[in-house]
Amino acid sequence: MDAKLKETILNPIFKGNPITVLVLGICSSLAVTVTMKGALVMALSVIVVCGVSSLILSLLRNTIPSRVRIIVQLVVVAMMVILVDQILKSFEATYAIDKQLSVYIGLIITNCIVMGRIEAFALGNKPWPSFLDGVANGAGYGLILLIVAFFRELLGSGTLFGVDVLGWLGYTPNNLVILPPFALILLGCIVWVQRSIQKDLQEK
Amino acid sequence: MNTNGNIYTIIYTTVIVAVVAAILAFASQSLKSRQDDNEKADTISQMLTAAQFSTKADLQKLGNTKVLAKYAEEIGQAFTVGTDGSKVSDLDLDKVYSPKELKKQNYKIKDGSGAEIPVFIFKNGVTVVPVYGAGLWGPVWGYIAFEPGSDTIKGAYFDHESETAGLGAKIKDDPAFQAEFNGEKADFTDVNVFNIVKGGAPKNTDGTSVIDNKIDAITGATMTSNGLDAAIDTWLGAYAAYFKGASTKIEEE
Repeated sequence: MDAKLKETILNPIFKGNPITVLVLGICSSLAVTVTMKGALVMALSVIVVCGVSSLILSLLRNTIPSRVRIIVQLVVVAMMVILVDQILKSFEATYAIDKQLSVYIGLIITNCIVMGRIEAFALGNKPWPSFLDGVANGAGYGLILLIVAFFRELLGSGTLFGVDVLGWLGYTPNNLVILPPFALILLGCIVWVQRSIQKDLQEK
Repeated sequence: MNTNGNIYTIIYTTVIVAVVAAILAFASQSLKSRQDDNEKADTISQMLTAAQFSTKADLQKLGNTKVLAKYAEEIGQAFTVGTDGSKVSDLDLDKVYSPKELKKQNYKIKDGSGAEIPVFIFKNGVTVVPVYGAGLWGPVWGYIAFEPGSDTIKGAYFDHESETAGLGAKIKDDPAFQAEFNGEKADFTDVNVFNIVKGGAPKNTDGTSVIDNKIDAITGATMTSNGLDAAIDTWLGAYAAYFKGASTKIEEE
């Protein structure tokens, strides 16, 4: 694999993470991180939507009339989001999760990461790198989601993926952790950690 | 090729939209039966939860097939009644009365235009009736189970479409809220059959709720609580004639 492709994949995971560096997709990262299961399904959904939409639009990039390109992007992303939602509703294992995530699956379309990557990358690059870029950005988003959900479920419910972890220690779940403000506090801590490792992000 | 011409733009967008519409229509049609199965099992497990056969979480672990089998095992009869309390027709036990149908009947109850509302009686005599109404962001609905031939509530389960997570969504997610209904009584002689009140329902000295038709509302979810309260009043009000009839019948026996 050449260095540029590698950079395309690795950059969004840490150095250019969509949530902690670009500060995109904050809304859903506060809303769907109460449980690991919800966060995982949401992360996978965003990876699929982001990757496939980037692929499709990259294939179409030379044919799209520039005046209506945002609308075309919107149509494709909306299609992917609806497809993901329909598929989640169709399986017993994911039906309850889909119900729990309710509007947030549908709201993936408003997730700035998806449209942002299409506009910034997919419309100017070949299909394969675009697909990887979409997937990697989805994964970068998903990684932060899972980190936040890990702490929120562990401290807020004493469980991980619904399995009792802290209960036998006599741990009393902290209700503040379940509320959205705590997700923002956690997110702040993650940004803090990242900025202290990655000095070039600090403003002088 | 000039991709910026008007005609090209119009044709291009038309084709894209048509293709996307076709894909979505195909997906929707081919997945519909699976989605209906999931919705059916979900609705049935809500009724079983209200009737205290199990908890929603346990039923979810069982899976669709076992939930349906459990329902088939426990259900005695299901039929619709008019708002005058008379029985209209039997319901197919294999079918489920979906929230969409509740919505239709909800309009009819409010119009007074011949609503036919369902009653589910389990083999142990527990009677389950649905309620439906408007929450803050979308519909709220649920099932209330009554002890055999009585106005004492055995249990309740509520669901919603888009209430706020952590606040209004507690009507579904907070077992403590649903447990408040257990053992309370509906007052079918009052217009306000059941009340979800702000500022605390009457309590006994030992902290337990007084057996009446009042429970505490959810803090921070006034609109959802009010909506659910109105939904329960409307629907149990519509069932009032049926329940009055049912209790006199049992006394006669």
